[in-house]
Amino acid sequence: MARFGTLNTAWMVWDNPAPAREGAVLEYTRELEKFLAEIERRAFRMAQVALRDADDALDVVQDAMLKLTRSYASRPSAEWRPLFYRILENGIRDLQRRRTVRKRVMTWLPGPKEDPDNEAQDPLENVADAAPTIPERLMQAQAMQKLEESLRALPARQREAFMLRNFEGMDVAETASAMACSEGSVKTHYSRAVHALREQLGEVW
Amino acid sequence: MNEDNDAFEKRSRALFQDSVEGLDFATRSRLTQARNTALDAAATRRPWALGWKMWTPAAGVTAAAVLGVTLWMGSPLHHQAPTLAEAQSNFEDLDLLAASDEGSADALEMLQDDIDFYDFADKAANPGPAA
Repeated sequence: MARFGTLNTAWMVWDNPAPAREGAVLEYTRELEKFLAEIERRAFRMAQVALRDADDALDVVQDAMLKLTRSYASRPSAEWRPLFYRILENGIRDLQRRRTVRKRVMTWLPGPKEDPDNEAQDPLENVADAAPTIPERLMQAQAMQKLEESLRALPARQREAFMLRNFEGMDVAETASAMACSEGSVKTHYSRAVHALREQLGEVW
Repeated sequence: MNEDNDAFEKRSRALFQDSVEGLDFATRSRLTQARNTALDAAATRRPWALGWKMWTPAAGVTAAAVLGVTLWMGSPLHHQAPTLAEAQSNFEDLDLLAASDEGSADALEMLQDDIDFYDFADKAANPGPAA
């Protein structure tokens, strides 16, 4: 009787596997969507801080989303966050390399030395916004701008450690996984970043 | 000192969070589109891309190394000795170019993405006779 029961169960699974698999895929897609929705805005701002450009930041975030969903979605969901940020940071570094190469090539060329990335820049972008603003929000925006400038001045690994630990709220182990380094290195990078930032912003803040 | 650090960390986190919440509608919308694109694309893999990836790393690293060293050596148009600051900047550039990370785009792939730019640079550096 017991054997029949086992066979019967096995037959049921074999006969109708699709609904169960579809349900699992749907559940897993929902989980992935929830994860990306939860993380995307912070990731975008971090990329924007590093790259100084909203369009480039959107590109690297979208690329990181694509790579995560294509290559790592089958990993346990607990691994998604460090994996996503590792992909994102690699994307940021690749873009910075491209910019470096372009900048170097442009210095070889005869004629006016212009960065091609800035060709289409609207001169009105730098004009101060005349719209009325609440003083407190203006001060916060200025403080954030100073923080961003100071973050850009940090070595890449220190900036990365600071943003992942402080902005994203990752613990040391998760940050180490995202940065592909040891926990000790994360602590060192983070501590140096805080020290350097406080030194730069101390008077302003 | 630790209390000061805590206050600093708390303030910077709050400012960052504030800037995230203040993102404009257009940016939020583009992020949602990016997310949907990524989720849609998850099901459609490109097998040909895997074949391409198999042979490009070695060529890519070689190309990046050659390019990096060439750039490091300096412009052929300016032969004066570099200052200390320039040398340091060059070294940082070389480090950035030569660094290779897991999951990072291959250097050759990077160069191919920018093919239009290099075509333009080549024409600008070697202008042909006026027609």
